[in-house]
Amino acid sequence: MDIFYASPWVPVEWIKAHGFEPRGVWFADGFAFDPVPLSAGICAFAQAVERFAERHSEGAVIFTTHCDQLRRGFDAVARSVRARVFLFNLPATWQTRAAQQLYAAEIDRLGTFLAGLGGHAPTEAELQQVVASYGDARRRLLEAASTCPARAYAEAIARFHWDGSVCFPAQTAVCPTPAVPLALVGGPLPRSQWGLLDLIEDAGGRVALNATEAGERSLGAGVPAPSGVWSLEGFGSGERPLSEPLSEPLSQPLSQALLQALSVVSVSHVRDKGCDKDEAPAGCARAATESLARTYLENCVDVFQRPNTRLYAWLKERLGSRQVRGIVLWHYVGCDLWRAEAQPLREAFGLPLLLLEAGETAGGSLRQTGRVEAFLESFQ
Amino acid sequence: MTSRKLTLSEWDGHYAQLVRGGLREPAYGGPLRRHVVLEGDLRLRQLRFDESPAALRLWNFLLTENQRLRLARAQGAKLVGAMKDLGTVPVMAYALPGLRAFYPDGAWWTPCLMECSDGLLQQAEALGLDASFCPVRAMLAAFVSGEHFPLPDLLLCSAGAVCDDFSAIAQRLEPMGFPVVWWEMPRRRPPEAGEPEAELPGNLRAPQVQVACVREELERIGHLLGQLAGQPLDDETLARGIRQANQVRRLLAALRRAVYASPSAPLPALEMLVAEMLAIHFCSDREETVAVLTDLLAEAEGRLREGRCAIPADAVRVFWVNPVADLRAMNLLEDWGGRICGSDYMFTHALDLIPEHLPPLEALARTALADPMVGSTLERAARIVADCRAGGAEAVVVSRIPGASHCAREGALIREVVRRELGLPSVELEIPPVCDALLPTLSSRLQALIETARAKRTA
Repeated sequence: MDIFYASPWVPVEWIKAHGFEPRGVWFADGFAFDPVPLSAGICAFAQAVERFAERHSEGAVIFTTHCDQLRRGFDAVARSVRARVFLFNLPATWQTRAAQQLYAAEIDRLGTFLAGLGGHAPTEAELQQVVASYGDARRRLLEAASTCPARAYAEAIARFHWDGSVCFPAQTAVCPTPAVPLALVGGPLPRSQWGLLDLIEDAGGRVALNATEAGERSLGAGVPAPSGVWSLEGFGSGERPLSEPLSEPLSQPLSQALLQALSVVSVSHVRDKGCDKDEAPAGCARAATESLARTYLENCVDVFQRPNTRLYAWLKERLGSRQVRGIVLWHYVGCDLWRAEAQPLREAFGLPLLLLEAGETAGGSLRQTGRVEAFLESFQ
Repeated sequence: MTSRKLTLSEWDGHYAQLVRGGLREPAYGGPLRRHVVLEGDLRLRQLRFDESPAALRLWNFLLTENQRLRLARAQGAKLVGAMKDLGTVPVMAYALPGLRAFYPDGAWWTPCLMECSDGLLQQAEALGLDASFCPVRAMLAAFVSGEHFPLPDLLLCSAGAVCDDFSAIAQRLEPMGFPVVWWEMPRRRPPEAGEPEAELPGNLRAPQVQVACVREELERIGHLLGQLAGQPLDDETLARGIRQANQVRRLLAALRRAVYASPSAPLPALEMLVAEMLAIHFCSDREETVAVLTDLLAEAEGRLREGRCAIPADAVRVFWVNPVADLRAMNLLEDWGGRICGSDYMFTHALDLIPEHLPPLEALARTALADPMVGSTLERAARIVADCRAGGAEAVVVSRIPGASHCAREGALIREVVRRELGLPSVELEIPPVCDALLPTLSSRLQALIETARAKRTA
C-alpha cells in the first residue's frame, strides 16, 4: 500500500519498515491544483492535498500540523475518510525535551496507525536496513547537489521521495554557461510546477540551490547524531539563551546520523535488555522511535520552526559556497510563513529577492514569466 | 424600557451630569473624550456606548492600559509580554508579585481605535508585512516604534498549533533585537483507543501525553517568570493565582449568563466584547478587573430587576464567532436588529474555570490545551453548536479577520456544522480595522441574515 506524506519531516524510514511504500505527495499522479478561490486566501497546495486524500481511496495520506491550512484541511477530510488519513504533529520548537518527546510520541502513534492499515512493527534489524538504504540514497543525492542541473536534480529527489531510490539522468553535469546562479527557496514545488525551473533557465538563470519543500532541504540539515544523551543543561536557568541552537549544522546527512543513533540504541538495548535484534519488543521500539525523533528534530530545516535560525544557517552555508546571486521566494497564496520571510531573507543575505506566487496553473503564467525574466535581466 | 446608547458627544454632557451627581471614579477615570484628544483614539467618535458609569469605568480601564503599564514599570514592576496563548501565561505571571503580563497582540486594535492615524499598518508594510497579513502585524510596528505599549522585560510566545500569521510576525521580532522564548503548543487531538487521557475544560479530552508536553513547557516558562520575579513559582503560589484567575472567570460567566441568556439584553454587544477580553490578561491589572466586572454585573442585574434593557426583546439572537477588527461592527449588528446571545472570540478556554482540584500546573496545561484554536475546527464548531443551543441562537455570524491564515478554511467548516446540526442561517463577514468603506456591504449582508432569521420565527 502507498502511504503519501505531505512533509519531508515525516520519518519515511518508519513507514517503509512497517511494510508500506512511502510516497511524497508532491509527486503523485493525480496530485493537481484545482481552481480555488485564491482571493479567499486558500492555499492551493493544502487544498490539493485535501482533494488528493478524498479521491485517492487506495492509499493513506499523512497530513502534518506545520501550517494552518493543512491542519484545517485535515479537519475537513477527516470526517469522510478518517481511516485513511493521519495528522502528524510536527513540533515547531526544537530545542527542548518536550519537543523531542512530542515527536517521539507521534512516531509511536504513526506506527499504530500503520499497524491498523495492516503493517507490521519492524524489528531493529529491519529498521536499520531501511535506514541504511535511505541514508545511502540521501548521501548520494547530497553529493550531487552542487553539480547536478536543476531539473535533473528535482527529478532525482522526486524519485527518492517516491521509492527511496536514486537515479540521475544520464546528463548530469552543469553546463558551463554564464547563467546567473539563483536559489529557489520556499514551499512545495510539485511536479506540475517544474516548468519554473525551465523558465528560469530560459531566462538566463540556473537554480544552484533548490530549497523548496521537497528539494535539497528535504534531505536534512546534516547535524551530528545525538550521542545517546539529550543534554538540556542550562535550559531555562539563564545559563544559556533559549533561542541559541543546540547544535551547529555540520555535513553529516540525516540518515547517517539516524543510523548512528540507531546503532547506539541497538547495541545498548541488546546488551542491557537482552533483546533480540530480530524481534520488536516494546522497549526497543520505544528507543528506536526516540532516536528517530531526536535525529529528525535535529535535522529538520524549515520555515515553521521556532526559532527559525537553523533555516538561515543552512541557507547561509549553501548560498555562499554556490555563489548564489539572487533568491526566488516561491510561496502559495495564504502562506504567511514563507511570505513573512521575504524581507528577513533580503536583509540576512543582501541578495536581490523575487517573490513568486504559486499559481494553480501548471507551468507558470504569463505574469510569472514576465517577473522571472525581469528579475534575471536586472543581473545583466 | 430601553437604556440609551450614547455617542461620544452625548457622553460629554452625560459625564458632566454624573460628576455633578457625585460620580466616584478610580485613578484612571475621566471623560471618554480625553482618549480622543490626548491619545488619538479617533474611533470613539464613531462608536455608541452604554450610558452606565460601569461602562464608563470599563472603557477607561481598557483605554488606559498602556499608561498603567508604564506607571507600573516606573513603580518597579517587571513586564511580561505574553504572545498568542490568550489566557495561560498571564495566570502564571500574576501569581507572582511584581510581575504584570500583557498581550502585545492587543496592538491589533490600535489601527481601529486610532482610525489608522497611528501609521502602524503602514509601518508594518514597510517592514514587509502587507495587507495579506492579519492586522496583528501592527504589533511588529509597535515594537519597533516603542510608542504604544512599553517594551516587555520578558517576551514569551506559544508556537506550534497557532495562527501562522502570528507565528511569522512574532518570528520577525527576534532578528530585530527582541528575543522571544518559544514554548510548544501541540495540536490537540482526541485520544486514541486505550490511550491515557485527560479531561479538559469545555467538555474536551486530550491524550495525557499532550498534557504532559504542555505541562513541561509551562514549567520551563514558570522558571523564567520566577527568575524575573525573584521568587519561584511554586505550586502554592500558582494555585493561589489560579483561584484569583477563576474569580475573574466566575464573574465573567455570571455576566455572560445575565446578558446573553436574558430575553432582552441588559448590556450592549460592544461592552460585552470588551468585558470578555478582560479574561485573557486582566487588562494588566487583575484586582481592578474584578472591580470593573463586579460593577458591570451589578449594572446588568439591576437593569434586569428594573426591566430595563439595552437591546429590545424582539432583536434577533445572534451567536458571534471570532473577534472583530473594527469595534464598530458590534454597534452595527444592534442597529440592524440583532443582539449577541453567545460568542466565541477565539479564547473560550480563557472563560472556562481552571480546575482547582488538580495540581496547578497540570490544571493550567489542561486549560491551555482547551484553546479552541489549537484543536480541530470541528471540535470548535461542536462547542459553538452547544452554545448556540444554550443561548437560543437564531443566526450565526462568522467574522473573518482580514489576512488571518486560519480564517480561509475554518469559517466554511463551522458554518457547515452549524447548518447541519441546527439549521440556522449564517453569514461570513470580513471586517477590516476600519469598516466604514464597507458599510453598505456589511449592512446588506447583516440585514439579510437578520431578516432570514426573523422569517424563520413566523414560518
